Amino acid sequence: MNNEALQHWNNSLTGQSEGLSSTEDLFSTRRKAGVDSFQKNGFPGRRHEEWRYTSLKSLSEEGYPACLPHEGNLPEVDELITSSDIRIVLINGVFRKDLSDLTALPDEVRVEGFSDFRQRANTQEIENFDRMLPLSDHPFQSLGDALLDDGLVVTAIGNTDARIHILHAYDGTDTSGSAHITGMIHLEGGARLEILEEFRSQGQVMGNTRWGIHVGDECTLSRQRILRPGCDVVFHGSRVEVGKAGLFQDLIAGSGSRLVRNEIHVSLNGAGGHTDLFGGYVSDGDEVVDHHTTIEHAVADCTSREIYRGVLGGKSRGAFTGMIHVHQDAQRTDAKQSNDAILLSRNSEMNTRPRLEIYADDVKCTHGATVGELDEGALFYLRSRGVSLEEARRMMVRAFTAEVFGEIENEGLREQIIEQLQAAMPASECVT
Amino acid sequence: MSENEKEGSMILEVNDLHASVEDTPILRGLNLNVKPGEVHAIMGPNGSGKSTFANVIAGHEDYAVDSGSVLYNGIDLLDLSPEERACEGIFLAFQYPVSIPGISNAYFLRSALNAVRRYREESEVDAVDFLQLVRSKMALVGMDEKLLQRSVNDGFSGGEKKRNEILQMAVLDPKLAILDETDSGLDIDALRIVAEGVNALRGGDRSFIVVTHYQRLLDYIVPDHVHVLSQGQIVRSGDKTLAHELEREGYSWLDSGDKPKKSEADQKVQEAS
Ligand SMILES: Nc1ncnc2c1ncn2[C@@H]1O[C@H](COP(=O)(O)OP(=O)(O)O)[C@@H](O)[C@H]1O
Ligand SMILES: [Mg+2]
Repeated sequence: MNNEALQHWNNSLTGQSEGLSSTEDLFSTRRKAGVDSFQKNGFPGRRHEEWRYTSLKSLSEEGYPACLPHEGNLPEVDELITSSDIRIVLINGVFRKDLSDLTALPDEVRVEGFSDFRQRANTQEIENFDRMLPLSDHPFQSLGDALLDDGLVVTAIGNTDARIHILHAYDGTDTSGSAHITGMIHLEGGARLEILEEFRSQGQVMGNTRWGIHVGDECTLSRQRILRPGCDVVFHGSRVEVGKAGLFQDLIAGSGSRLVRNEIHVSLNGAGGHTDLFGGYVSDGDEVVDHHTTIEHAVADCTSREIYRGVLGGKSRGAFTGMIHVHQDAQRTDAKQSNDAILLSRNSEMNTRPRLEIYADDVKCTHGATVGELDEGALFYLRSRGVSLEEARRMMVRAFTAEVFGEIENEGLREQIIEQLQAAMPASECVT
Repeated sequence: MSENEKEGSMILEVNDLHASVEDTPILRGLNLNVKPGEVHAIMGPNGSGKSTFANVIAGHEDYAVDSGSVLYNGIDLLDLSPEERACEGIFLAFQYPVSIPGISNAYFLRSALNAVRRYREESEVDAVDFLQLVRSKMALVGMDEKLLQRSVNDGFSGGEKKRNEILQMAVLDPKLAILDETDSGLDIDALRIVAEGVNALRGGDRSFIVVTHYQRLLDYIVPDHVHVLSQGQIVRSGDKTLAHELEREGYSWLDSGDKPKKSEADQKVQEAS
């Protein structure tokens, strides 16, 4: 990033960060650290190994540095079928209790803002917080820290079940800018949560989301993130730790975002832990979708599965970097990773980097990557049955992502996601 | 062929059709007329162009039509996309049905049926009506209902794939069905069931072109006309007895360079027209 643009961010950052400290004092250290770190490191260029396939140049545009105002409108998009009546609404990165509905929340589940949390929490909880959301040199995390205002904490303890819909809405119609949200999810004592995070955005907006997630022993967290069409710049960072016999299932689906970077770090810390990391997308134009995953098999007898599938048209680019780190004691690890892409045009591109670091000897680790084209034989077969070329192409999106979305239990939601991706399927270039 | 036959209403009129694959000519002047309700068999050795012909009629883009014409119910078939042809009532049962992992057979069939119905300006069928329809058709071809929820042809046995083709035909209700080696890979019981399914769909104005290498299938699906395709041309035509003759004599006479000989079978057709 050039100096001038960085200067623009830095000036804006210091001002905004200091503005925040007058209203809320608990996070001043964190904010200060975030400002310092970002000013020192800025945005990495593409020469940086971790950012080789994703250019952050566009973020130097003047539009992004300012934080979006807290009030804003919900972008108009059809409601998702969620089968949950617990709803958390965040507008421009701010938890809006007034728009949220927490009445159906079980007693064992608590949803609160950071400030409430920090005042209420015991030492153990504060310790968890600091462990799950450590200070860091990561550019987006530094920004999130620097501009930390309030965040979201979801805590579920005990034998409980809940489905929560979190709506992240960004409104950049009047003024462009960024929004930063940091959150923590803590499950303990066998709790089971399903969290659907829906991202809706309009205008020029950079949405920066960071989660620290603890899935305790025998707990289950199923998370689905849906990027609705129209998101501009999406940055997601998740750090997850999974305890004994814990289960963390993650799915990210989307289409029509200009730049998506999804970073997820899962550490399997207890025997019998399992994680599923799934992703499916359709891209077009000059969109970029970059999934960056790390799975730490820290102990023996854990399993993991990753499936990412993208259909890329236009000049869009996809990237997948998947690290599987099997620690020395992690015997009987079973890890499967796959990344597959269909390129619809000559100018679309997919870059896959599997990284396996295996220090145990009794492990099963497989990884596979494929890049192909639409199956012409299948297209003709469909057309020979009366299905139009465009519909046949859309059906191929359904076919290709079936493994990714097949396990979504709510059929209505599954259909909505598939239909969103199908609708994003670029039209064929030569219509016959 | 007499003037009369030419002028009678034809469902398919193929005139001097030349087609090639990757610049290699395969069909070299093929002529064929099919009337509504007729069953024609096209026989011929491997590589003679039977599947090429079937694919050209269905509109496969790998096959380039170099010259000639194909009229379907009087309209220029070669002008239509594959999906338009299907919606107009042409159905090709593939020699090698394609598998589509990730799309259930039920979803595939319903999408196809509704696409055809939309084209015909009929209302779409909902899941319940569809299931009822498809169940009755599955019984017709002796197909296990479990195959509905499986991915299209994915992991199907040879016989299951062929039955699935006939099931699709039964559901889509075509006017002209081309069966490309539907008998290959079927044991005798499966062959009989598939043939019975086809026979149940015979009648009225529905026409069939049954492409086969062996005469065996034609014992069950008895054709009105039999044609021999060799090197991209129909070199002999006759009635069903021609199939038996070919069974006895094989196709070796085609290579001998002899002029195709006239037989009793040829005569009968000549007289009939
Ligand atoms: N898709 C194709 N690509 C290349 N050659 C083909 C293709 N389809 C058919 N051919 C060639 O065309 C000729 C006729 O093949 P085909 O129509 O399949 O014969 P048949 O069905 O009578 O056995 C063969 O020589 C075959 O190799
Ligand atoms: Mg063939």
